[in-house]
Order: sequence, then C-alpha cells, then structure tokens
Amino acid sequence: MRRSTAPQASSPRWYWAVPHVAVVLFALVMLALVWLLQEREAEVERDALARDLLWTEQSMRRVMLGTEEFLVQMARDLSAGTLDYDGFQLRANEHLAANAALTNIAWVGRDRVIRWTAPFDTQDWLAGEALADTQIQAFQQSALSSRLAYGRPYATPRASAVFEVLAPVQRRGEFLGAIVAVYAVERMITRLAPDWFAEKYRLAILDPGGVAIALSSGLSAGNVGIAQTLALEPPGNGMALQVTAPRSGGNLAKALPMAVILGLSLVVMWSLWMLRRHVLRRVQVEKERDRLFNLSLDILCVVDLDGRFRRCNPAFERVLGHDPARLPGQALIDFVAAEDVATTLEMLRRLASGEPVSFENRCRCADGRYKWLMWSINPVREERLVYAVAHDITGRKATEDALRAESAFRKAMEDSVITGLRAIDLSGRIIYVNAAFCRMIGFDEDELLGAGPPFPYWPPEQREICERNLAMTLAGQAPRSGFEMRIQRKNGERFDARFYLSPLIDLTGRQTGWMASITDITEPKRVRAALESAHERFEAVLDGLDAAVFVADARTDEILFANLAFKRIHGFDAVGRTVRGVAVPQPERGDYRIDPRNLSPADVPRELFDGELQHPLSGRWYHVREQATRWVDGRVVRMGIATDITDRKQTAEVARQQEERLQRTARLITMGEMASTLAHELNQPLSAIANYCAGSVTRLQAGNARTEDVLAAMQKASFQADRAGKIIRRVREFVKKSEPRRSAVKITEVLEDAIGFADIDARRTGMRIQTEIEPELPAVFADRIMIEQVLLNLIRNGLDAMSDTLPEQRVLTVRVRRFGDAAVEVAVIDRGHGISEEGRRQLFTPFFTTKAEGMGMGLNICRSIVEFHNGRLIVDDNPEGGTIFSVTLPTETASERNARSA
Amino acid sequence: MHAAPDQIVHVVDDDEALRDSLAWMLEANGYAVACHESGEAFLAACAPDMTGCIVLDVRMPGMSGLELFEELVRRRCGLPVVFITGHGDVPMAVSALKKGAVDFIEKPFGERDMLRLVEQCLQRERETRNKRLLEADTARRMAQLTQREREVLDLIIVGKLNKQIADVLGISIKTVEVHRARVMEKMGANSLAELVQHVVALEPGAVR
Repeated sequence: MRRSTAPQASSPRWYWAVPHVAVVLFALVMLALVWLLQEREAEVERDALARDLLWTEQSMRRVMLGTEEFLVQMARDLSAGTLDYDGFQLRANEHLAANAALTNIAWVGRDRVIRWTAPFDTQDWLAGEALADTQIQAFQQSALSSRLAYGRPYATPRASAVFEVLAPVQRRGEFLGAIVAVYAVERMITRLAPDWFAEKYRLAILDPGGVAIALSSGLSAGNVGIAQTLALEPPGNGMALQVTAPRSGGNLAKALPMAVILGLSLVVMWSLWMLRRHVLRRVQVEKERDRLFNLSLDILCVVDLDGRFRRCNPAFERVLGHDPARLPGQALIDFVAAEDVATTLEMLRRLASGEPVSFENRCRCADGRYKWLMWSINPVREERLVYAVAHDITGRKATEDALRAESAFRKAMEDSVITGLRAIDLSGRIIYVNAAFCRMIGFDEDELLGAGPPFPYWPPEQREICERNLAMTLAGQAPRSGFEMRIQRKNGERFDARFYLSPLIDLTGRQTGWMASITDITEPKRVRAALESAHERFEAVLDGLDAAVFVADARTDEILFANLAFKRIHGFDAVGRTVRGVAVPQPERGDYRIDPRNLSPADVPRELFDGELQHPLSGRWYHVREQATRWVDGRVVRMGIATDITDRKQTAEVARQQEERLQRTARLITMGEMASTLAHELNQPLSAIANYCAGSVTRLQAGNARTEDVLAAMQKASFQADRAGKIIRRVREFVKKSEPRRSAVKITEVLEDAIGFADIDARRTGMRIQTEIEPELPAVFADRIMIEQVLLNLIRNGLDAMSDTLPEQRVLTVRVRRFGDAAVEVAVIDRGHGISEEGRRQLFTPFFTTKAEGMGMGLNICRSIVEFHNGRLIVDDNPEGGTIFSVTLPTETASERNARSA
Repeated sequence: MHAAPDQIVHVVDDDEALRDSLAWMLEANGYAVACHESGEAFLAACAPDMTGCIVLDVRMPGMSGLELFEELVRRRCGLPVVFITGHGDVPMAVSALKKGAVDFIEKPFGERDMLRLVEQCLQRERETRNKRLLEADTARRMAQLTQREREVLDLIIVGKLNKQIADVLGISIKTVEVHRARVMEKMGANSLAELVQHVVALEPGAVR
C-alpha cells in the first residue's frame, strides 16, 4: 500500500494543471475572437459613418455654395446698380424660403449699417441698425479681402447660434458694403441633413473650440458610440461637423459574449477546483483509510465469496505471523483449526447468502500454534466480496477460561464448605448466606436474604437468648469463642450450632456488618459419643481375645496396657508393673533381634520378636510376637501378642509324626515302583528265553528239529540271558552312582547352611543356637551334602534333647576348632537330658532310639558317613549337663597325604 | 496241528527277542506266524481278507496295544486278539477284554497257556468265518428271487400253508406251489427247516 501512494500523490500536480491551462487558453482565444469580430464590426460602422458624414457635408456644402453664389450675384447686381430694394426683397425672401438654414439676408453698407433686410418679419438685422461687435470682424475681413467671408458663430437671443456669410459689394475696387446671409446653425442641422440621417446619427456642429453649438436630437446623450468630425469647408472658420453614431447594439451586447465566455470559464475553473478539492479529499480519505487499514491491530481482510483472500492488512503478521503479501489467493479455511472447520464453513455459507455474520474460531499461526479470533464479516454481494474483521481474542478466551475455572473453583469451594456462613448488616438484616447454611437450616436463600430479627431459624422458646446474642453481636461484644445456640430448621427440628463472629469490612475500611460462621455441632457431639463407644468396643474386643495383648514402655519395661487375657495370666495388677519375669522375651537374654531399649521413634514400627516361649510357672507354650511401635504419647513401646499354642503345639507334633509315617510309606511305594520297573525289564529276556527253550524242546520231542535251527535258538536264548545279566549290572551301577563325591569344603559354610535350617525349628521352640568358631580354619576334604546332613542331624538331636530343659538354659552351642594338625573338630553341645551309660553303648547300633517317633537309623548313618570320610564321631557327657557330639574330619592336605600313602 | 492252512498267527511286539522267540515256539507247534514290530506296521499290512489271530503286546512305544485294538474294532476287523501284559498292566488288559478281546496272558507265560489261547482264537475265527460265508451265500441266493417269490418266501417262513398264502396274495394254490418249488430250488434248500435256518441266520427279524 505504502509503495503505491507516492506516484498517486505526484501525478495530480501536472494533470490538474492541464484542464486549467486549457480553460484559460480557450477563454483567451474566444475573447480574442469576439474582440476581433467586434473590431471588424466597429470598422464597418466607422466606414459607414464616414461615408454618411461625407455625404452630409457634401450636401451642406452644396447648399452653402449655392447661397454663396446667390450672394455673390446679389452683390454684383447691387454694385451694378441693377438691384433695388424690391428686387432685393424678392430675391432674398425667395432664397430664404428655399434655404431653411438661413435666417436673414441683409445689405450692410460701408458704414456698417444695415440698409436692407429680409425677411420682413425679422427681429434681428433690422434696417438702420449698426452691426454688433461680433459681426464687425467678418465684415472687415470681407471688406479687406474683397472676397466672401464667413463670420464666427455666435449666439443670439433668438437662435442659439448663428454665423454670417458676407459677400462684399465692390464698385471699381471700392468697397460699398456687403450682402450678409445669416445661417442659424441649428437650422443647418435640422434642415440641411436629411431626416433618415438625423434619425440614425446625432449631428453636431462644433465651433472652432470644439464645443458643440448645435445638436440634432436624434440620439440621447447616453447612447453615443463612435463619432467622426469633418471640418466645414465653406465657412473655413474652424467650424466642424461631427457625426456620432449610436452605440451599435450597445455596450451590453458587445460585452455579453465576453462576459459569458469569462463567466463560463470561471465556472469551469471553479468546478475544476471543486472537483480537485473533492478528489484530494477523496485521496486523503483513501490514504487515511489505508493508514488505518495498515495500523489496525485487528485483522482486516477482503475475501472472495469462495473464501480466498484478496487483500490483507499487516495485522496478519502481528497476530498470526503470516506475511500478508503472500496471503492473497490462499483460502481462509486452510488456516482454520480442524475442529472449527465445520462451523466456519457454515458461516461462509451464510455469508454467501448475503447475511452478515459474526463468530469465533481458532486459526493457525505461522509457528503452528492456534489463536482464537472473533470474526465480524460483512458480505457485499454486488462486489462478490466479503469484508472481514477479526479480533484476536486468545487472551480473552484464556482469561475467560481462567475466570470460568476460577469461578467454578470458587463455586465448588463455596459449595463444598460445610461451615455455614451468614452476614448481617449493622441493623441486623441478613445480607448474605451460603449454600451450606441454607442446607443446614433448610431455608432457601430467598427466604433469608433481607430478613431481620427475629430470624426464621430462631426457635420461639429460645428467642430471648437469640436476641441477647444478636444485641451483643451488634454491640461488638461477641465472645471470641462464639455462641453456642440452639436453632431450628425449617421443619421445626432443633439442633445445636456454634456461631463465630467477625466484623465485615468494606474496601474503605468501614465496617458494614458482621459475618458469622456457623457449625452444626450435633455431629461432633455424636462423634464424641461414637468415639467413646468405639473405644469401649475396642476394649471389649481386646478383652474378648484369647491372646494376651500388652504394651510396655521399651525403656522402662513398664506395662502401659494389658488386656484381660494378659491380666488373667500375669495377675490383674499387671498394668504399672514391669514385664520382667513374665513370659515375654527378655533383652538380657538376647532374645531380640534389636535391643528395643535403644530404639528411637524414627526406627519404629519394627518387628522385635516372633517365636515360641514357655511360661516358667504354668509350663504352657505361647507364640509371642512383639513389635516396637509408637505409643499414643509418642514414646517407643513394645507391643506384644502372646497366643497360647500349647494345644496347637501338641497337634502339630502329632501332625509331624503322621507326616513322617507318610514319608516312610512314600519311600516304600517308590521302592515298589523301582521293583516293578526291574521286573518288567527282566520279564522281556526271561520270556524270550522261555519261548526259545519251549520251542526247541517241542521240536526235539517231535523229532523234526534241524540242528542248526535249534542251535540258533539256543544262541539267541543265551544272548537274552546276557541281557538279563546286563540289567542286573545296571541296577548295581545305579546304586554305585549315589556314592559320595568329595572335594575341598569350608566347614564353616557347611555349618552355616545347617544352622540356617535348624534355626527355624529352634526359634519356634524358643531355643537359641550359638556358634564358637575358631578363625582361619583349613578346608576339609568331604562330600558337602553328606556332611551337612550329619551336622543337621546332630543339631536337631541336640535341640530335641533340650525340649524339657528350662527355657533360659535352652542354648545349643556349636564349636568348631582345629583338632591337631590334620583335622577339624565340630562339637555340638546341648544342655539336654544327657545319655545314660547303657544308652551310650547302644547309641550306634541300628534301630536304637530314645525318641518316641525315631527310626534309630540317624546316628548309625552319621557314623558311617563320618567314617567314610576317614573321620570320627565321638559322644561325651557335657559337664554342665547334656551331651557333646564331636565330629572330627581330616583336612584337605591330610586327606591328600593319606591318598598318596595308600 | 489243528490250524487251517490259511490261518496265520500275527505277533505284534516291539521287543525283537520276544517276537522272534514266540514265532520260534509257535512254529514248532505247527502254526504259520507273521511278525510285526509295531501297531503301525501291522495296520499297514492289515487286509480285510486276513484270517487267523493276533498276539498283541499291551505296552509298546508309539501306538499301544490297546490303541491298535480299538483301531481294529473301528475297522471291523474280526480277528480275535490275545493280549500279552507285563507286571501292573492287568487293569488295562481287563478293559481290553470288555471291549471284545479273547483273553490276556501275563508275562512270563508258559508255553502251554499260550498255545491254548492261540488255538482257542483260531477255532473261534474259523467258526465266525464259516458263518459269515454261509450268510453271504444265502444273501446271494435271496437276491436271485423275484418279487413274487420273495413274498411267498416271507409267508413260508412265518409258517403259512399254501392255501393261506394263495388267499393272502390272491393267486391260485397251483401258482403258489410253483413259486414254492422255485424258492426251494433257488435257495438250495432240501427241506423247509433248512430254508428257515438259512434265512433266519441272515435276517433274524424275518420270523415274527
């Protein structure tokens, strides 16, 4: 746009001058033309005038020359004396009658006295009168020159102007006087000029001074045109004839074309100027519009009816980032977000039907984002264009969304609040209630707003209290803890509510009322009651439990809580005592995984103990689980649950025995299966052998046996016998395969595994296994599995032997140390019942057992295994009570030595 | 000994020694023996006109003896079967018996027991085969009868007299007699009793 303004601005300067110059030139030419025409016309007129003038003068001269001739004749006659008075009179009057211009003819003597005069009735030139001074000059001139002379014109009383012509009368050179004829100048004009002339022109006779002395009255004084003057020759005294033509057509007629031309030119100039001004204003407006178009913050564009851009303003770049120069030709719909395409197309359809539309959609920016635009589009059908304005409302949308979200959030907040809110103005009138308050009391917002005291939720019987509270509120004396009031619902139901009050301050800091928050305290009251009953139930449940439950301080061992079962076992005064001496694990004995006395609150909850314990007095078994936890007052406590498992333990024992029997049966079944397989395997060769033999026998008996056939059959039979033998050998091989495989083994690792297994049992029965292991023991040369079995067997035996021992003495010690240079000894030391002398002798014999459910094979096998390893299994009494089983195994190096020496 | 010359004892066992030794033993007693190393091999060799019996091992890799037996039943192979069972296979053998096997024998078996069972099987097979041949012959002959002869035969079998037959069919007694003579001739029967026996063997429902 800006680019195209420069040439537009400069062009008017020259092309606006062209019509002006043309108009001026045209006017000038026209004026010149008119002037020329008029000039020409004037010239023609002048020529006509000159001709007419000449003609008039000629006719005048002829008349005057006639008069001259007459006078001269008279003078000659007079001098000749042939003329008498009567003749004079006759001839003079005759001449006067013929010449109207003449007024008098007289005979003046030498003495300048008039002798004769004509006409008779003349008033001037009376006979006997002397010549007046004015008349003397011409008389003298005539006398002197002896020739005809004309006198100067002068005015008389009767005729306006007259002059004389004098013809001297001489006799032999002697001057006798002169015949005088008097011309009345006025009459010359009227009588000498023809009538048409007088009508056409104004005729004037000028005296020598140029002053008109006679005028024909044919023309009015104002209507004078060109004038021409010709000297009157006969008088020759400077008189002149002047003809004035009337203004031909007048000045007006002459000036009119000019005026019209000038006027029209001016009109054209004016209209051009107006036009120019109009156009300039239009251009200015156009420029302003362009500037506005370019400056507009909103998107402006002109679009075809088929939705393609025609013209776009730079706002496209600012808002959407698209270059407006590249947009024309592109379709508007290509920029619309996919979800708005349908709406936009609908709007474009409506536009096509000529309806102005206004809608919102999202348009794609150059960077791929989308912006919300509000479009206002007007179609112009005759131009087949639409004019569109789009305002970027992305911000507004976002604000709207934010506002909506905010308002929804506030609404949700207000709706979710369960505290009732009510505001009153300073006169006690309700100005606000929230939904929770309405719900609480069952009145609608409309019923409450504007209501004054007494409020509808005041129960009639409480009204006095309510009024007092309101008065205190309005006085600003409401207690900080609020009022507890009984108010009513719409259905008349009463309930307790607590009102907290705070002043309502407006923007200017002025108090406008009081805001009350109302809580229905019926529920908290009910909750408190429910909590109490729950507590009672909880205690009832705990007391109803068979298991003994207690809570003791982890540091001081003071019992903080004990249920009925615990009290029944340990006495009803258990709470307040310490847990020492009761059937719970004791830190001193090392029963705990972690000493509970050193636990900090950050370490809990943590399991402390899970095992079986025997009550020292009653001898009953308990399964005790203890956990360190945080007590209600924050300190670390041990919470224990002890379940009486004496009965269960017995049941478990029976179950274990049953299982062992089952295992034994299973072993037998496996043996049966093996035997069955063996039998099947052996069946095949045996059946074949039998068949070969039977066939051979039959043939031999029948006597039709061919020796080679029978021989072959016998060979086959013996081959089958071999096959049977192989099966037997394979069975032996299989048995051989389960012989031990020895390698270098770290005895401590083996022991760890064995204790890992046994510890599960030990913990269950409240026993502990402790180890005493000498460091850096040499490896032994042994079958790891077998040795582990031996150790596990010995440990289990030891644990079993201690089942009747006092709980605090139930410790099984496993001691590992070097035995001489070439052996390692593992001693399993129990504090059990010990073995009698008799028993010890029979200890290793098969099927001997001290246990009710024992097979009597364990120790026998153990000794076999140990001896297979070139070791020894020895039994000793424990001086502290119980038995010591010692296994001695040679070290790896010792075994190697043995192997070499063997 | 007693075996018909076309009867063959088929031994099906995966154990070559057992198969071979059994064949040796049976051949010594005059039986023709064919050995098959598996159920599949037997089925491949099996033909509808086979005669004789089958000695079958219950426990075989691949197709077991019982499966082979069920397949044979499905194929309507009428050969009698003797099962050889090992230790612990007794319940399996019992179920085979219920499905129509002749007998079973447990390993290790005696020569005499085996021979007895084989003989029993062959005997049964022979009888079945003869019966089947006779039935086929009767059916062929009956097919040669005309419609009218067939009607007459049906009435003869249910014991009608010539006069009654004439009444029922609406023909003269003479004509009935002619038809009757033709029927007897075509059926190859020498007496009324023989005629009835043949027809009843073929169509047990013919006598009401």
